[in-house]
Amino acid sequence: MNRRVSRAYLWIVVGLAGVASAPARSPQQSSSPVSTPGSPHRAVLNRYCVTCHNERLKTADLMLDKMDVDNVPAGREVWEKVIRKLRTGAMPPAGMPRPDQASYDSFASYLEGVLDRAAAAAPDPGRPVAHRLNRAEYVNAIRDLFAIDIDGTAVLPPDDAGYGFDNIGSVLSVSPVLMEKYMGAARKITRQAIGNPAIRPDLVTHKISPLLVQEDRMSEDLPLGSRGGAAIRHYFPADGEYVIKIRLQRARGDYIRGVANRRQLDLLLDGERIKVFTVGGEYAGKTATGDARQQQGEYERIGADAGLEVTTPVKAGPHSVGVTFFREEAYELEGAFRPRLVIADNSGGKDGEPTVDTITIRGPYNASGVGDTPSRRKIFVCRPSRGEEEELCAKKILSTLARRAYRRPATEEDVQSLVNFYRIGREKEGFDGGIQLALRRMLASPSFLFRMERDPPRVAPNSLYRVSDMDLASRLSFFLWSSIPDDELLDLADRGRLKDPLVLEQQVRRMLRDPRSKALGRNFAGQWLYLRNVSAISPDPTEFPEFDENLREAMRTETELFFESLLSEDRPLMELLDANYTFLNERLARHYAIPNVYGSHFRRVTLEDGNRKGLLGQSSLLTVTSYATRTSVVLRGKWVLENILGSPPPPPPPNVPNLADRSEDGRILSVRQQMEKHRANAVCASCHARMDPIGFALENFDGIGKWRTTEGPTHTPIDSSGALNDGTKLDGPVGLRNALLNKRNQVATVVLEKLLTYALGRGVEYSDQPTVRRILKEAAPHDFRWSSLILGIVRSTPFQMRRS
Amino acid sequence: MMIFKKVMPRRMFLRGLGATVALPLLDGMVPAFATAAESAVKPVSRLGFVYVPHGAIMNKWTPATEGTSFEMTPILEPLAPFRDRLLVLSGLDHKEAVQLPGEGGAYHSRATATFLTGVHPKATEGLDIHAGVSVDQIAARELGKHTQLTSLEMALDSVERVGTCEPKYTCAYLNSISWRSPTTPLPMEHQPRAVFERLFGDSDSTDPAVRRARIQEDRSILDAVTEEVTRSLKGLDPSDRAKLSEYLDAIRDIERRIQIAEQQSARELPVLERPVGVPATLEEYGKLMFDLLVLAYQADLTRVSTFMVAHELSVRTYPEIGVSDPHHPLSHHRGDPKMIEKVLQIDTFHTKLFAYFLEKMQATKDGNGSLLDHAMIVYGSGISDGNLHYHDNLPVLLVSGGAGQLKGGRHVRYPKGTPMTNLYLTMLENLGVPVASIGDSTGKLDLA
Repeated sequence: MNRRVSRAYLWIVVGLAGVASAPARSPQQSSSPVSTPGSPHRAVLNRYCVTCHNERLKTADLMLDKMDVDNVPAGREVWEKVIRKLRTGAMPPAGMPRPDQASYDSFASYLEGVLDRAAAAAPDPGRPVAHRLNRAEYVNAIRDLFAIDIDGTAVLPPDDAGYGFDNIGSVLSVSPVLMEKYMGAARKITRQAIGNPAIRPDLVTHKISPLLVQEDRMSEDLPLGSRGGAAIRHYFPADGEYVIKIRLQRARGDYIRGVANRRQLDLLLDGERIKVFTVGGEYAGKTATGDARQQQGEYERIGADAGLEVTTPVKAGPHSVGVTFFREEAYELEGAFRPRLVIADNSGGKDGEPTVDTITIRGPYNASGVGDTPSRRKIFVCRPSRGEEEELCAKKILSTLARRAYRRPATEEDVQSLVNFYRIGREKEGFDGGIQLALRRMLASPSFLFRMERDPPRVAPNSLYRVSDMDLASRLSFFLWSSIPDDELLDLADRGRLKDPLVLEQQVRRMLRDPRSKALGRNFAGQWLYLRNVSAISPDPTEFPEFDENLREAMRTETELFFESLLSEDRPLMELLDANYTFLNERLARHYAIPNVYGSHFRRVTLEDGNRKGLLGQSSLLTVTSYATRTSVVLRGKWVLENILGSPPPPPPPNVPNLADRSEDGRILSVRQQMEKHRANAVCASCHARMDPIGFALENFDGIGKWRTTEGPTHTPIDSSGALNDGTKLDGPVGLRNALLNKRNQVATVVLEKLLTYALGRGVEYSDQPTVRRILKEAAPHDFRWSSLILGIVRSTPFQMRRS
Repeated sequence: MMIFKKVMPRRMFLRGLGATVALPLLDGMVPAFATAAESAVKPVSRLGFVYVPHGAIMNKWTPATEGTSFEMTPILEPLAPFRDRLLVLSGLDHKEAVQLPGEGGAYHSRATATFLTGVHPKATEGLDIHAGVSVDQIAARELGKHTQLTSLEMALDSVERVGTCEPKYTCAYLNSISWRSPTTPLPMEHQPRAVFERLFGDSDSTDPAVRRARIQEDRSILDAVTEEVTRSLKGLDPSDRAKLSEYLDAIRDIERRIQIAEQQSARELPVLERPVGVPATLEEYGKLMFDLLVLAYQADLTRVSTFMVAHELSVRTYPEIGVSDPHHPLSHHRGDPKMIEKVLQIDTFHTKLFAYFLEKMQATKDGNGSLLDHAMIVYGSGISDGNLHYHDNLPVLLVSGGAGQLKGGRHVRYPKGTPMTNLYLTMLENLGVPVASIGDSTGKLDLA
């Protein structure tokens, strides 16, 4: 008995183990077999579970001998945990006896059946708290209200995250600093949106990162045949004249890079060329009297870009300013590609190609008015012609905007408060000034900053009610767009039409087709897939000398476009893992060694190489799961377990000894050899046997996602073989992918739970599990297409109802 | 009649990449009625806390000798010029950071949350975060009454990371060492421009009448909003009400500051350009942020600050000193001498940066002395041995000004089990903000 107990103790330390092979289609039946009187289930428990999970041993705090399996709803929380372990095949642990697959599944189905029926009879939709708009939602709301794009990171602090997302109502708080930022932001935003006729000239410099390689066409806004430079979007605050000045990058010795060559530099405004400069080469203005070499030297250090400036009239509003060189070589270089070393400031000297450092815009000078910008058009739905009409017009403007901002019809009190401020501002600064002050008041209102759902007046406490159409409209728009509802949604909600399931489905599909649904990629996938971390990683320049900003941007864009296409084309869920296409530009294609992709724009490319298919072959993910200097088998394994399989490993025990990187006789060990310890020691193996094989399967991808066949200074060949705990062989990325594809239901569960957390703005509780199961059941025949998951959520009880 | 106090012509350019904007208005440019009483004002005390993660290589931190003849160990070496103000305190613990049964291995979250609070943070992943009120905020409640900003929180690290937080503890615990209330951690600003704007505002008119009008507008907006919120509170349940009350508190905070801004007279300040972006090297970035902090003290915009050199779990690399391994994994050196050497370099880099800060404080005039003379700055970490995640015998420095309050130039070792919060009790008393206890304190620390 001792040996059994000590083995059981081993598994206490471990917690979970193993991933059993699940059949391709899990027999989750909606009408589970009528549960026979408790004894067969009791017998199953007694035989396979209670040996460890009993009152005496209290393994993992679970005492299944005390649980009444005939009254499952009474112990809901515990039984949901049991179901989870059963459906991921984690229990009984590997090595312990378990029933045949049919009995195993029918036991799980019995539990699920009882709980689902109990939930259907007495649903609990939960009660989300007053929910502050997070940064992304604030930025999008401003965009939709005023047609202005603000840089959220410059204006608001980042939000705290919970359950892996930064839109969790209970975690988002308001501090005095945040309040100040809201006030400051409101002032800036309204001033920009309305325009300030008395504006003084200002100076804004846009800097191009020195780590961005300017070798190619840099943007869609620049013409074909251009090289280097940048196209920036700049907001011109008023109609007037602006001075645009260009500075070039310096190289070693303070010379302007590339100044030895004569080049043509174009300046474009909204794609139209407004000036051409000639830069570099022999200095044409040399005087006969001075020292020729000295004059040339000064030209090359200072003079060559001193005059790169132009004064030009520009209309108020957002415009694209492009600065770029005319591409000199029109041919492709033959031969093997040698990665370029990107070390800021030092690559190339006078003889390289010139590159742009900053674009400075000064103005407005001789401002002639605030112009007719998209934001003014959005705000001023009327213009008063005579004094008496002014306040009527103001009321109209403000109630229109308040309805959108507050996501509900504006009340008398709302409008009155805004009008009061309009009057004060009108006194001092005229009609426009009045509107501006009123809008500042609007943006500070809790009705704008918070999503508050109120219990209807005649509902008893602790009962369920259907969320109002207005509240539902907000839930929809914040879920799918991370923004306020548009007029169409608000109108339908006003007329109570969202109650109609057909209308609801139509709206969801419309919203998914709308470009605003890109927010789902940016915010949901960005956090679930850790994509946001791509901006933060800094691969070590010695280990990865070819990593540059172009690659960083390309990595991020690839996965963004990939996820967006899955969503907009409504692909089956598992295509996330095995799509035979991706989105590449030349820089990324070079990184992946895929030939015949030219140019800096992204396009869909069919993948010939099986290793690259799907998300696990994309550099973004492979890089954020690595360290700055090397890959991490453990990080990658853990990521997959957590975010794809939904069975995260428990935290490591304290005081884990280090792995030796040399053997006892001084040989350098390969990573696999170093990690032998993970398998040799039983305590380590309990978790690492699950994580490491997954990480090893991906070892052919280095720390920035490039394919390799050997590792380290000794060029040890990479061995990417392994097996999961249930024996499934993993042979490199293809083997791993196939193993994951076999666990469709497990993956769908994880994705749905994450999506549900994101949609509800609260963590998913055990009481939500029946909802999760129901949605999956309904989505399974559709191959778990994204629309089926999203519609499932929108139709679900927690999304449509609330507890009072 | 308008009396202007002109700004000093001495120009101090703050380094920064990216956009520079036309000179902003400094909030200090208010019509002033100079009183003779101003020069006779008692020097005001400043308080500061600087945090470094992952502890230190303790045998290179702790001097072997105690008392006044202690030797400057390798990590403390950069602070040699300030020896006479330096108190090296050994033996202080944060036992509230120790893991309780059933909790996950969230050493770094707990270290961060307890450092200034001494309260064991509640293990939760999203609902009801709960720690304690931090010592800087206790002091700020009093000291902040006289300044525009109650306190200033800064970090050299963005918290934009997703999904790297510790089990059972939400990321909110790792992001800040400053807690305004047991449920409100304060965000730590990492962008130089944002700090600058917080200190000096963003209006583009130097006309005091316009500024005053601006202040009045802000106040009326806040008044109207307060009314609206109070009306909204009816019909909301307790948890919703709690959220909105947080919001109301934040508004009241701003209103108070606006009042002070109206009353405060101008101080002589260097003129500076607003920085944008983050400087390329860590050293430049750190110096820029410390410059802003010194400026904040100098302009008496605040008297209390907290500064995180990096967050716990930082995977920052330090290529400028030749360390290209990420900090956190390095700190788990397991006795490997190569790794220890690298951690040592990082620790010393941090103290060097701190020394820069102290230098600047010393070089800045304040009343009849320097800013450093009137300040108490704590430098330390919530972990001592980063390898083993110990929370006792923490690396702690107290740099204290003159004025005979605390005798510097000593290494003092306290008996086992002395809570670090006892130090805070003593400091609060010295600041004239005595409290009965804070966190797990058992009494005042004897610093004589």
